[in-house]
Amino acid sequence: MADQVLEGSQPVDLSKHPSGIVPTLHSVHDHGFNRHISCTSRNIVSTVNLDCKLDLKAIALQARNAEYNPKRFAAVIMRIREPKTTALIFASGKMVCTGAKSEQQSKLAARKYARIIQKLGFPAKFKDFKIQNIVGSCDVKFPIRLEGLAYSHGAFSSYEPELFPGLIYRMKQPKIVLLIFVSGKIVLTGAKVRDETYTAFENIYPVLTEFRKNQQWYEPDACTSIVIYKILGGR
Amino acid sequence: MATFELYRRSTIGMCLTETLDEMVSNGVLSPEIAIQVLVQFDKSMTEALESQVKSKVSIKGHLHTYRFCDNVWTFILQDAIFKNEENQENVGRVKIVACDSKLLTQ
Repeated sequence: MADQVLEGSQPVDLSKHPSGIVPTLHSVHDHGFNRHISCTSRNIVSTVNLDCKLDLKAIALQARNAEYNPKRFAAVIMRIREPKTTALIFASGKMVCTGAKSEQQSKLAARKYARIIQKLGFPAKFKDFKIQNIVGSCDVKFPIRLEGLAYSHGAFSSYEPELFPGLIYRMKQPKIVLLIFVSGKIVLTGAKVRDETYTAFENIYPVLTEFRKNQQWYEPDACTSIVIYKILGGR
Repeated sequence: MATFELYRRSTIGMCLTETLDEMVSNGVLSPEIAIQVLVQFDKSMTEALESQVKSKVSIKGHLHTYRFCDNVWTFILQDAIFKNEENQENVGRVKIVACDSKLLTQ
């Protein structure tokens, strides 16, 4: 993968990532603290203006892997396999590209879609390409007390376990939304540039360690045996 | 009731069209009647597939291409397996064209 070449297994730049964790990167790490952090893939949303009016029906009929149902949605939905992405193509010539794993891959995919439109005979250009959102995820590998975090960071937090099991943390600087789960898994969204994700994670990491949940070891003993015995009918 | 002309491209539909063409060019049949026969064929095919065919076939393969336009799905499968109760058949490339019959009754 391209982003693995880009960000490969170089040592972590601790000035940028003092927590020793780089969100949204490759698999298992050991940052000298004997702390194994695994980070998973992400999603990039980008837009571009092809700067020409498009006949969506003609596109849907000629291009492969296209869906066009104007009654439901006013765009052609097209997919390519490499980079594995989905594009929404509008009659105005505006296009949205989703699903890429890196900024470069998103741009490459958008270029491929523009090329497909060109090949169908439209004078498509490639104007104002912009990354609109970067979604990253990370696993800090320890459980978190969400109630405590929500209480002490009330201004930024929204935690309604009956509606959604994660805590929604709206960070102001950088302006990033984090979904924090009891399991220690974190999703970061709303970034326009990758560094915003990193900064947001570095900001939240000390908070997460503060609200680290002490693992309660559950050991079946005599008491539980009695309870089970009673549940089973007490024979 | 309106019907799809989908089955005219099947072997049985092609044979019928060919025969009708021949009869029209020999002057045995008027073109109007020939067209009427084809329309009846569309109806009969739809009816027969709906009420007289009980067997089920499953098709499994690798999706090469898909398209949805004008309420018609088109799929091209590679290395597909057609399975029914008795036997199975491997096919290198299959094109599936599917229409929504509910749209006809609306």
